[in-house]
Amino acid sequence: MAIEGQIALTVLMGALLVGVAVWLTRLEDWRSYTPLAGGAGGAIGDESAHVHEEKPAGIIRWLTTVDHKDIGILYGTYALIAFVWGGLAAVLMRAELATASLSLLNNTQVYNALLTSHGITMLFLFGTPILAAFSNYFIPLLIDADDMAFPRINAIAFWLLPPGAILIWAGFFVAPFTEAMTTGAATSWTMYPPLSVEQTNPSVDLMLLGLHLTGVSATMGAINFIATIFSERGEDVGWSNLDIFSWTVLTQSGLILFAFPLLGSAIIMLLLDRNFSTVFFAAEGGGTILWQHLFWFFGHPEVYILVLPPMGIVSYVLPKFSGRKLFGFKFVVYSTLAIGVLSFGVWAHHMFTTGIDPRLRASFMAVSLAIAIPSAVKTFNWITTLWNGSLRLNTPMLFCIGFISNFIIGGVTGVFLAAIPIDLVLHDTYYVVGHFHYVVMGAIAFAGFAGIYYWYPMYTGRMYQRTLAKWHFWLSMIGTNLTFFAMIILGYAGFTRRYATYDGLTVGPVEVITAMHQAATLGAFLLLIGQIIWVWNMVSSWIDGPKVEDGDPWNLAETNMKSREWAWFERKLDTTIATDGGAEEEPLADGGEPTESDES
Amino acid sequence: MEEQPGLSDQYRMSSPWPMLIAFGLAIAEVGIIWPLAPLAVGGLLLLTGSIVGIVREAGYVESPWPLLSGFALALVAIGLALFAYSGGAFAVNSVSESLRTSGSIGLRGLSIAFAGVIALVGALVGKYWTTANAGHSV
Ligand code: HEM
Ligand SMILES: [Cu+2]
Repeated sequence: MAIEGQIALTVLMGALLVGVAVWLTRLEDWRSYTPLAGGAGGAIGDESAHVHEEKPAGIIRWLTTVDHKDIGILYGTYALIAFVWGGLAAVLMRAELATASLSLLNNTQVYNALLTSHGITMLFLFGTPILAAFSNYFIPLLIDADDMAFPRINAIAFWLLPPGAILIWAGFFVAPFTEAMTTGAATSWTMYPPLSVEQTNPSVDLMLLGLHLTGVSATMGAINFIATIFSERGEDVGWSNLDIFSWTVLTQSGLILFAFPLLGSAIIMLLLDRNFSTVFFAAEGGGTILWQHLFWFFGHPEVYILVLPPMGIVSYVLPKFSGRKLFGFKFVVYSTLAIGVLSFGVWAHHMFTTGIDPRLRASFMAVSLAIAIPSAVKTFNWITTLWNGSLRLNTPMLFCIGFISNFIIGGVTGVFLAAIPIDLVLHDTYYVVGHFHYVVMGAIAFAGFAGIYYWYPMYTGRMYQRTLAKWHFWLSMIGTNLTFFAMIILGYAGFTRRYATYDGLTVGPVEVITAMHQAATLGAFLLLIGQIIWVWNMVSSWIDGPKVEDGDPWNLAETNMKSREWAWFERKLDTTIATDGGAEEEPLADGGEPTESDES
Repeated sequence: MEEQPGLSDQYRMSSPWPMLIAFGLAIAEVGIIWPLAPLAVGGLLLLTGSIVGIVREAGYVESPWPLLSGFALALVAIGLALFAYSGGAFAVNSVSESLRTSGSIGLRGLSIAFAGVIALVGALVGKYWTTANAGHSV
């Protein structure tokens, strides 16, 4: 960058700092605000023993909040935006793959960039944050804590994510304006050297920096959850009656604590290799296999980091609509802990074909097969919970059942891959892509949807539109199975992953491959329609869905299933009506005066 | 959603610092890796300033200025060490081709040190020319 560029940046940066300074002095107004001046809603301000501060209004509230519920909503919104980005990248790729030759994208490098962005976005910017949304909002309610143990750290952890996303996606935004960058980073989410070292495209550096920030964020969050669950539990919440969701988040946080700092260090080594001529992953230094060991030592636990809390959500929601307690609660907890421990002992099953020592391979195969056992324990417990229950097939329940069904396919294909001889054939084919998408889309995202629908009345105060929700479920269920089962067949047909075209095929069942690619693309479009319906339903219902007046919208009290967070919600509804009085216009809206805001 | 007297509402519900810390860290990171001196200086100032802010807000220190000068001195020390390591070279040049020249390493050192100097000046001004010494009455 020439000197004028530096001067322009200096001016910009200076303006930003001055802006921040001015903003801070304006904030003093509310920061030193006393309870007496609190205005409406300050009914408990007279409890002067507490530092009661109003939340500032409008956008400032969201920029400065340290309240776990607000931060949960922020995480959720962020994850939704990432889901849209990652989803559109996937749709573009699938559209490209509908035909054998390059037809939609400019060149194959764009495909590679989309592939990379899709993977990284879905895992780090959608997956981890959507889980943090649930755990931030609900864990303090479930364990009867006032807030997270470190509310400010909680906010820092969230705010590291938006810059992280901007850096990870930067290549796409910046490339059109500079010659130095060709397109987004095209390393794939695994960032294997030597490719990732040799790609001179600076968007790779930005992506690594962004990933580093999201890793710091996840680690801060994990420390916070561990501290909260250990030390902030209410009087009557002991280890014996800690709910299953909190157990899974506690285990997940432990995994994060060991896995993410390692990823951060490996990323820094990669940055140094790229920019400062170190040789950590060069043949004359540690070698490229070193990266694979470090990456997968993080990477395999990462997949369980992503799947454990969704398993917790399913274990939590499923019994509510089965009218029975979770079968074998203790064993579900034990299997969670077992998965947590074992997941650090299987990483080399991603490296069976790299030529590592066969004795090492065999031991990793053994542990990988063993980890299927606790996963199966959970599955049997869910099925047994359903057995003879009085099922209520509403949307959260449908998504839970869809989770189980998809997780079985995802898990069984995983067991196949864990067997060395089979993996030697199927590694790096679409079979692997089918396997993990059954888990990440079919299970993790489904559990996320189950939770989003189940708690919707609580965090919005309104009800979603049930018919649209059913459409969302069925389109997602059919779309997922069409897309990813086709991929499993593609894998059996020997079609390799990460290719933008297939017009050069001279061997193999070409017709089957073409048909399966088209089926997968069709499924992807069904998924797209389903998700558009979902976003529409969420947003429009939040704005003017029917208000929830009952503190127990799912009638859980009937089957004795009403849990702590709904009791909190009921209290909240009661006190809102009691203290708001006529000050807020909300209570009027349903009654006499139809205000404009209500009709729209 | 409306304000509601729930449980956690009895605690401080907002702080401007977390967002600024996160953004400061991100900007400083990019500014230092790609030697873009303005981003490095600005990001480091934002980062150290907000860390000091949050520490004081949480009541761990009474006055922000000693802590800020501590950070400032650390930045100066790190920056000068890096500059010395580069052999006193210094160059402002293009982003992509020059990450590892000694000139660009010198630039990184100088920008870190420069951020430290500004922070130090800020701390001195704050201590001797403003009234913002005491902690908040909260
Ligand atoms: C039942 C337990 C599981 C077993 C035994 C298993 C086994 C495997 C094996 C052996 C591979 C490597 C295939 C290859 O590259 O040749 C693999 C890949 C993968 N698995 Fe699983 N898996 C299991 C569960 C899961 C879960 C729960 C998730 C996600 C939450 C997951 C996500 C992935 C991903 C993302 C990859 C692909 C990584 C890549 O190469 O990009 N797996 N799995
Ligand atoms: Cu694995």
